[in-house]
Amino acid sequence: MSLRYRFHLPPHSADFFPGVLMESPVDPVKRRHRELERIALASLRCARVLMQCGASARVVHQCGAMLANSQKVELLGLRLGYASITMTLGSGGNSITRMVTIRGHGVNHRLDRAVRALVREAAETAMLPAALELRLDRLEATTPRYPFWVTAVAVGIACGSFSGLLGADERAMVAVLFASGLGQAVRMMLHRRGVNVFVITTAVALIASWLGGFGAERLHSGTVDLAVFGATLLLVPGVPATNAQADVVDGFPTLGSARAVSVLMVMVFAAVGLWVARLLLGYPV
Amino acid sequence: MSAMLLHILHQLLLGAFAAAGFGVLFNAAPRDLLWCAAGGAVALTVRTICQDFVLSLEASSFIAAIVVTSCTAGPLRRVLGSAASRIAVAGCIPMVPGAFFAQALLGLFALTAPTTTSVDPAVLANTVVAMMRVVFAVGGIGAGIAIPLTLLRPHEF
Repeated sequence: MSLRYRFHLPPHSADFFPGVLMESPVDPVKRRHRELERIALASLRCARVLMQCGASARVVHQCGAMLANSQKVELLGLRLGYASITMTLGSGGNSITRMVTIRGHGVNHRLDRAVRALVREAAETAMLPAALELRLDRLEATTPRYPFWVTAVAVGIACGSFSGLLGADERAMVAVLFASGLGQAVRMMLHRRGVNVFVITTAVALIASWLGGFGAERLHSGTVDLAVFGATLLLVPGVPATNAQADVVDGFPTLGSARAVSVLMVMVFAAVGLWVARLLLGYPV
Repeated sequence: MSAMLLHILHQLLLGAFAAAGFGVLFNAAPRDLLWCAAGGAVALTVRTICQDFVLSLEASSFIAAIVVTSCTAGPLRRVLGSAASRIAVAGCIPMVPGAFFAQALLGLFALTAPTTTSVDPAVLANTVVAMMRVVFAVGGIGAGIAIPLTLLRPHEF
């Protein structure tokens, strides 16, 4: 006979008598719920980090399924939204639904790779949720990133080369190299201050394209127009755009559509910055 | 012939630098940067050769994306592991048709300029064509990445 019947406790009495019911060894349903919750929260944290690193919906879904299977529970549902992830786990007659918020979408190859390796290991060894969360914390804290200046220089070189592919001459490429490198530095500084991603896009497009056009004019380039545009190529949302398509192909049209809209919005805000820069450079707009 | 080879070399080098630079932006591991550069070089080489064979930019970009992704997800999958799809994306990013996007944007600016009294049909047509080409080329690149990944590594994590 359960405690509820022995002591004639009303429904939801666990809220009033946590010491009696929550810790009771004869209440397997509640204990099972707590285990399911720990598994769900640990799995959701892994899924969230993967989403924030730019993983596709298929990968995030697979992550949830692998971790649930390893803990011998059933993944009843995993809803992947652009701003949140919801997971429902079941075991026997019990089920639990938990949700986490996604803090922002970016691209981080090294962290993505490390988290996938951790999830594979956790699935193979049936790692306990607490240990999984501890390892995830460590990965988030210790996965290296390139120094600020290295990223800025690399982005400058990438955009300079990209402009060359579009047909810009050498002088315009040099102007783009400096302008986009500086644009990337501004982007990272604003990002650290927590400025809205679309506002950052407009600001960076404005600064980089104005500098690119101004520099190309000073260097007497014959392709100033391409320099103005080429300096904003660091804003091309390549990973979200390919992820949007991949998500639709893999059967996640809602998330794919949301990603496509965000790509479109980035392009609109970049165009605004470019428009203002052209105005400042004296072009007819 | 030598002019064509020089053109391919030019595209190859710039594609490699662009892809490696984007690899740094995406925080790829240092050893993966070389693979990103190789991906960019292969993508631009294939696209340039296809365009030299009078294929459109959109078709050439699609074929190049298929080649790069098939290489990373096929023969190189053991070396690259879970990074294969990311390296394919970084390699294909230099193929984004920025010139057409610029043309479309500049066309839109020209069409809506306050000095414009009437819509020039030629500018309108060029703008619409440039926008369509951007959409088709980006769609081609995305499909060229997604199809081989779906066929070659459907369940790989």
